[in-house]
Amino acid sequence: MPGWLIDFLWVVVKVTLVIAFVGVNFIFMVWLERKLSAKMQARIGPNRVGPHGSLQLIADALKLFSKEDIKPAMADPKVWALAPVVMFAPALLVFYVLPVGPNAVIGTDLNVGLLYLAAVSSFTLVGIFMAGWGSNSKYSLLGAMRAGAALMAYEIPLVLSILTVAMLAGTLSVQGIVQAQVDRGYYFVFPGIVAFIIYFICVMAELGRGPFDLVEAEHELVMGYQTEYSGMRWGIMLMAEYTNQFTAAAIAAMLFLGGWDGPFLPGWLWLVIKAYALVMVMMWVRWTLPRVRIDQLLDLSWKFLLPVSLLNLVVVAIFLV
Amino acid sequence: MADQIERSIGAGVQVIEDAETMEEALRPAHLEEQAGERRRMLVNFGPQHPSTHGVLRVLLTLEGETVIDAQPDIGYLHRNWEKIVEGWTYAMVVPFSDRNDYLAAICNEQAVVGAVERLMGIEVPERGQFLRVLVFELQRLTSHLIWFGTFAMDMGATTAFLHAFRERERCYSLFEEITGARLLYNYLRIGGLRNDVPDSWLKKLEQFLDDFEKEAYPSYWDLVINNEIFRVRTKGIGVITPEQAIAYGASGPVLRGSGIRWDLRKVDPFLPYDQFEFDIPVGTNGDAYDRAIVRMKEMMESVKIIRQVMKRLPDGPVMAKLPRALRPPKGQVYNRVESPRGEVGVYLISDGGTGPYRIKWRSPCFTHLMLLPVMARGHLVADLVTCIGSIDIVLGEVDR
Amino acid sequence: MGVLNDVARAAKSIVKGHMVTLREIFKPPMTIRYPDEKPEQPKGSRGMPVLKVNAETGELNCTACGLCARSCPPGCIEVIEETDANGKRMRRPLAYNLDMGKCMVCNLCIEACPFDALEMAANFEISVYDPDNLVFNKDQLATIWKNYDAVRIAGGEKL
Repeated sequence: MPGWLIDFLWVVVKVTLVIAFVGVNFIFMVWLERKLSAKMQARIGPNRVGPHGSLQLIADALKLFSKEDIKPAMADPKVWALAPVVMFAPALLVFYVLPVGPNAVIGTDLNVGLLYLAAVSSFTLVGIFMAGWGSNSKYSLLGAMRAGAALMAYEIPLVLSILTVAMLAGTLSVQGIVQAQVDRGYYFVFPGIVAFIIYFICVMAELGRGPFDLVEAEHELVMGYQTEYSGMRWGIMLMAEYTNQFTAAAIAAMLFLGGWDGPFLPGWLWLVIKAYALVMVMMWVRWTLPRVRIDQLLDLSWKFLLPVSLLNLVVVAIFLV
Repeated sequence: MADQIERSIGAGVQVIEDAETMEEALRPAHLEEQAGERRRMLVNFGPQHPSTHGVLRVLLTLEGETVIDAQPDIGYLHRNWEKIVEGWTYAMVVPFSDRNDYLAAICNEQAVVGAVERLMGIEVPERGQFLRVLVFELQRLTSHLIWFGTFAMDMGATTAFLHAFRERERCYSLFEEITGARLLYNYLRIGGLRNDVPDSWLKKLEQFLDDFEKEAYPSYWDLVINNEIFRVRTKGIGVITPEQAIAYGASGPVLRGSGIRWDLRKVDPFLPYDQFEFDIPVGTNGDAYDRAIVRMKEMMESVKIIRQVMKRLPDGPVMAKLPRALRPPKGQVYNRVESPRGEVGVYLISDGGTGPYRIKWRSPCFTHLMLLPVMARGHLVADLVTCIGSIDIVLGEVDR
Repeated sequence: MGVLNDVARAAKSIVKGHMVTLREIFKPPMTIRYPDEKPEQPKGSRGMPVLKVNAETGELNCTACGLCARSCPPGCIEVIEETDANGKRMRRPLAYNLDMGKCMVCNLCIEACPFDALEMAANFEISVYDPDNLVFNKDQLATIWKNYDAVRIAGGEKL
């Protein structure tokens, strides 16, 4: 078999595995969210479809497929239709640089892996804007503007906090950072605890989760930029949101908690375990805290997180590097 | 103004017939282009909306995201109460009055029953009066629990809603044991109560109060009230100055949140409240946070009163001896009670028959809703939800 | 330093809130899995009024006096007395129609009845497909009385 064919087949296998994982992850994470929130609220959650309600999402997916596809009359058809795809693509692209073992990376180990991650994850903003603008509806545009302002505000502390980790490790490559933690024997969450907390808060705001879900808050006028999407189009947006959640947690696990490092179990399993632990913490925060207002959201970012992350960078640079 | 309201876009979109193109039909006709000024939008908030306060429609005039004016539009739950009861006997009026403020049914019943008792000069036996105080305060506790749950849910903390309802479910069971119903009781009768309570029920009530005080109540403070996000979202929002509160006729926690110490249980006791010791929590700034604190503290005061009643409950009958057909003398009376929402008043005109000639229901939520434009001016749309939640309206009472 | 105090207080309040939800995960749920589990209804729980059947004679106690119909606020009871061929009143209901679509289960009919003919059953599962079927006639009411433990709480009792 010629070499290029083997490489090509290898790529096909990897992409299929990633997409399969994304699908399974979606089903599992929605079930986890509903069951965890039910437990916190003295309820039971889904318990009829499948054992312990695990197949509930199949029923929901069938329901979404059977809904009428409503196109708003004044929408720009191409922009409106492409928006969910543009929102979903970055979630998949992040998998390219995820290391799953000491010598295994899903794609290639880019030596500017962190830059790639930061660039790709801010692409979701374009998708949200396309959704709001293309819908040509007052509320969608309002929601998209709010989302845009919030996401842009939280990019900077996010990048500064992962820059701290890059400084500690001395490299921008993701595999290199994990390797550095393994070599030094301690995880970067300990010297970079402030960076970890800032990263967590920023990523919850970026995802529109937790106390920062005002962009899709039902108690505001309508569903924001998601108003004009029905059926499976909205299902894709939901899938994008949950996959982004997983990848954000996976990045945190790799940068701060040592990624694939751990005894007995294979590397990718450790990564999944650590990522899901962080996902559960995000769900815990979401169901506990009330929602912040748009101006308080921006205040938090510009007036609190930005100075703190800058200070943290300086402190780490002076004392720990 | 009428056609401006017709064309308002929102949860109910109306098609404009005389538009030339689709664009003109969907463009709101009331957007005024004022040179140099930002445009003002007329937006419809409701009557269906996910805020859980019933069918209320608010016409918002927005400038960007700031609220310039918020006019409530009511009447979606009007059931013609005052006219219907004109043909009925007093015994039939009592269960019907439950349905006004359906979250605090006993308070409504006390207003009606107290009016007739005052007119006829009936003396309720002491055990009956003490038990009335007990269920009244228990009703206040459950009503404030609903306020707490829905207010937290409006803020986004859905978990608190379910925690509040878990305690309320226990109260439902307690009420079901003595009255037979969970929400609308028909328990108070003219001259006393329908039936007495067994001692086993009092023990269950005490168990509930102990659990509430030890576990549930502190968790409400930890989960919501002391939470920084909650404080930031309610402090300084929806300020009502004491002068405004008095001028608009506010009462209950809305009045006390603005710093005025006025509680009908102390000022004009409609039940033997002067035999029990309790405080009246009062706020300072008149914002949503102070009203929230007042209601939370009132929950604990109610628990205190219930405990005192249980300790000093005398024996005896619960119902006074009355003729079968009640005919109050001709006259007029105004009876008021301190319900969890404010001053509920019943103005009763009797013509000597078996039923009322006219009942006028004074609803506190109706009065408080008039404060909405005053409170919401200058705030953002998200704060409008906070303002509505902090005055704790029940549309059944507003519209009757 | 006031800022640091504020930040500390904010952080502490947020952490305490999370502890509440964490503790909540380990408590049992309060859900009753209806319809597999039925809720516990205490004695005297108000579901719908039913007609009592006399244990000895097997007949209804009702004499069709109409006091219940007169005391009903929404007016959902219709009573027609049976008369024999000569027009003499039989003191028995020919028809007794209770419209559960209007009934607000206020208990006033049971309190009004002087013949111990009406009792309150705890049956709340009366959903039907056709709203006309919500009008219960006297045979249906008697059947429900036989199947449910109905009580009469009419005033002044100590439960």
